[in-house]
Amino acid sequence: MIRNKSMRRASLVSAIVATGAMVLSTLPAQAATPGVTATEIKLGISSPLTGSAGLSYGKVPGAMKAYFNYINANGGVYGRKITLISRDDKYLPTAAATQTTNLILKDNVFALVGALGTATHSKAYKAAALAKNNVPDLFINTGFSGFTDQTKYPTTFMVLPTYAMEAKVIAKAIKDNFAGQASFLIAQDDEFGTDGVAGFKTAGHTFTLAPILYPQGSMTSARAEAALTGLSAVPGKPVVVLFGTTDVTATILKAAEKLALTTKFTWYAGSVGADANTLLALGVKPTTVNGVISASFMPDAKDLTDPYVKQFADINTKYNKGITFDNYVLAAMNSAMLTVQALRAAGKDLTRAGIMSAIEAKGSTFASAGLVPLGYSATSRIGYNGYWVSQLNEKGEGKPYGGKLVIYTTDSGAGAVEVSTFVRPTMPKNGIPTNS
Amino acid sequence: MKNLKLKKGLVALTSAALVAVFAVAIPSTASAASTCANTGFIDGAKYVAIEKCTGTDDNGSQFEIRMPAKFNGTLFVYSHGYRYNVNLPAIPVVEPKGSRVDNSAAVSPSEDVAQALLAQGFALAGAGAQRQGWNQNEGVDAAIQVMQIAKDKYAKISKVVTWGNSVGGLTAQAVAEQYPGAVDAVAPMCISDATQAVLDKANGFLWGFKQLFNPAIKGTNYSAGQAGYVEMLTDLGTVLTTLQALQAAITVNPVSPAWPATSTVPDALKAIPVRSAVLLLGLINGIPTQSNTYDASSGPAGASETTFGLVISPALAVLENGAQAAILAVMANYDAEMTYGGIVFDNSKTNYATRLGDDAVTFRAGLTGQSGITGMLSYLSALNPAAPRVTANAEAVAKMNSVYQLQGKIEVPTITISATADHIASAGAAQYLANKYEAAVSNGDAKPGKLLNIWNKPSDEYTEFSSAGAPVTPTVATNGTGHCNYTTSQILAVAKLAASAAKTGKLPSNSAVKAAIKNEPNLFVDPTITPPLLKFYQ
Repeated sequence: MIRNKSMRRASLVSAIVATGAMVLSTLPAQAATPGVTATEIKLGISSPLTGSAGLSYGKVPGAMKAYFNYINANGGVYGRKITLISRDDKYLPTAAATQTTNLILKDNVFALVGALGTATHSKAYKAAALAKNNVPDLFINTGFSGFTDQTKYPTTFMVLPTYAMEAKVIAKAIKDNFAGQASFLIAQDDEFGTDGVAGFKTAGHTFTLAPILYPQGSMTSARAEAALTGLSAVPGKPVVVLFGTTDVTATILKAAEKLALTTKFTWYAGSVGADANTLLALGVKPTTVNGVISASFMPDAKDLTDPYVKQFADINTKYNKGITFDNYVLAAMNSAMLTVQALRAAGKDLTRAGIMSAIEAKGSTFASAGLVPLGYSATSRIGYNGYWVSQLNEKGEGKPYGGKLVIYTTDSGAGAVEVSTFVRPTMPKNGIPTNS
Repeated sequence: MKNLKLKKGLVALTSAALVAVFAVAIPSTASAASTCANTGFIDGAKYVAIEKCTGTDDNGSQFEIRMPAKFNGTLFVYSHGYRYNVNLPAIPVVEPKGSRVDNSAAVSPSEDVAQALLAQGFALAGAGAQRQGWNQNEGVDAAIQVMQIAKDKYAKISKVVTWGNSVGGLTAQAVAEQYPGAVDAVAPMCISDATQAVLDKANGFLWGFKQLFNPAIKGTNYSAGQAGYVEMLTDLGTVLTTLQALQAAITVNPVSPAWPATSTVPDALKAIPVRSAVLLLGLINGIPTQSNTYDASSGPAGASETTFGLVISPALAVLENGAQAAILAVMANYDAEMTYGGIVFDNSKTNYATRLGDDAVTFRAGLTGQSGITGMLSYLSALNPAAPRVTANAEAVAKMNSVYQLQGKIEVPTITISATADHIASAGAAQYLANKYEAAVSNGDAKPGKLLNIWNKPSDEYTEFSSAGAPVTPTVATNGTGHCNYTTSQILAVAKLAASAAKTGKLPSNSAVKAAIKNEPNLFVDPTITPPLLKFYQ
């Protein structure tokens, strides 16, 4: 009896497989998977489009859409077109919680991509019950090391290295290049800054004075001038590390201009605060921008000799008309390319669990513009795990500091900062992934 | 009282046995004094004829029953929310005209709701418990009594739904749990948590308010008799004047408002904008960061849009919500201390850093960074003698907690509605019930598939600004904020779902729920959404 039942089941399975193969092209493969049909994959992003943060980050969703539209025009992902639904959270935590919940409950998206901000996304993640709903939370734009906690954020994949990793690389750069000079840290007084402070401490770097910490949104010209005036009393050419957003970097550099202190210091802006286009747009003089050192994991958006940059710039011209190609656009398109590879790696029968498993298994091999390796694995949700040190020129171009590109990799903990021989994967033909 | 004790003793029996015994155990109340009269009202184009009966039950609680001439067989038994148990003189904001203890019966959340249900053929009943204030036991007894009086009088009653607002929601749920078989469905609205958890929230806010802004507030340990009554009234006045000082300071300088003159915190702490202290008090006590006026999601157009939404709006929301929380704390805590015979609030071991939790990440900018958080929490630390903690009277607490505590033993369809920004009855109270229910199901103490939580949220953005950029308080209270601030149509949607469930014995289907709330953009259902529990449990 049991045997007969098993045989019948085997026959039934065969029949279903055969039938399934016949109708695969016409029926939704995963009707039960939210946001996925036979012809469409719905993705969502909550990020600032308006408000002060929208000035810098407002380009992100549009750039991602542009890349997805490019992919859609070239066949989509296994025949499915990608739709990106963008909601404006103004960089406000409560609004982010609301909009992310809307993306899940109202828009019924398959996954989130490129969510932006620590305060915003930490609140949104819980409010929208992303963990309970098993919603893939892909390539988030924050370096807060708290998001690496897979117990708390089981569906989250970062794309940025952690701020702690960045601090460790900067500490090494200061040690290698500015030994003997005083050094100061002006940092945002939140996870951004505290992660950074912890990273410097782990690296064994001690600043000459206690870090100057300021709450987000509180750095004014007067406060910047007061801080720089105090620091200028220290002899030599101290290194000032700015661990904040680009608008704050601009405020501080403009204060230095006003005080004629631009050449008094060696400026080292963290990766989040060193977008040259934004600095120039906010009125920082090109001569001040010239020489600012930064850390980056991406190529410079102005380097059109880089094949990835060139490809993304071309896509931007065609699919994102009227938008200036810059580091934000580059990073956003790069995340979109990672997303497409993740979707492909998950296979034709797309599921939420499947795409997360696929990134864990294959994410470290995805092609990307990043000049440092991706660190995805079953135990790591950190994207890029290193930096290269760049220096801006008057045009706002980022060039390798010292004239030679050196890739550093490290972790968020006590691991050493090491020089890497990493060579990034060749860009897929025409920037269209074909991985599986 | 003897009969009531007998009734409570039945709780341990099986449900089936209870149904049989219950009818015997509850004394016939046909003898309860009641007066009935035929009356009615116009509903649209039709006249709705009803019989209205009022009276006083065996315990002295006033009751009212309204039976429509065209009765559909289902009776709604309503329990009202918390009412003051002392007379109040005219107090601005709190009771501008003064008030007397109100023991009148209530049959529904509003007259509009009552007429709408009567017009649809539902009968209504409700009571005004013989003692106001914290009166869960009295409320349960009053609900049971009026239910039985109605059943005795109208044999055609075939289904009973218990429902209520706030403490009344708690009462309705307690009726269902304590008397299984007595009701066919339950609809707790803006359900209150247990007294201890609610007072922990309100008193926690008031305690911090006192330590940071005005140590003249007594807050706890009110004297007995007239002296205590005067202390309570004095506290109300002190809280109100302190709130006004805070409001004025923030109005003058929203970004860096000054601390009130009554504050005795060190100058170093006063370097932090006082709005951050207000926000911190809200966050560590579970006061919502959205309120009637402030959505924490928008700002006046222009340069300060993001700053307002990020750091000012959440603090102002807490202030707007916290004003009522602080007043409730004074009134309700005074009531609890008098009722239970001593201090019932205890924060002697409370770790406020733990209670801040992830909000430290979310609201770090509004809290003036990690440095601001550290400074404020240090001041509120149990190690700081300048901010003395409160230790409760164990006997008083035991007495307070001797009332029935919800077990989640849900046997009949139960439909809750809770607002995510209700500053008095947190949505976490409904979540607490859901958690208890889940555990009860796992333990075999409750039937699966009997609880539906409907959430009421505010619109995505709702703060209005004047042409000068000043926030404007809405003339109509913002739905999704405020206490039990539901629209008539929202309440009726819940009532209809509950009535339907009472008939079938099952929760309405997903499609039926969707249909019921399809015109209610601020209502949603999602079992994965889990509002935070009250801080008392965290």
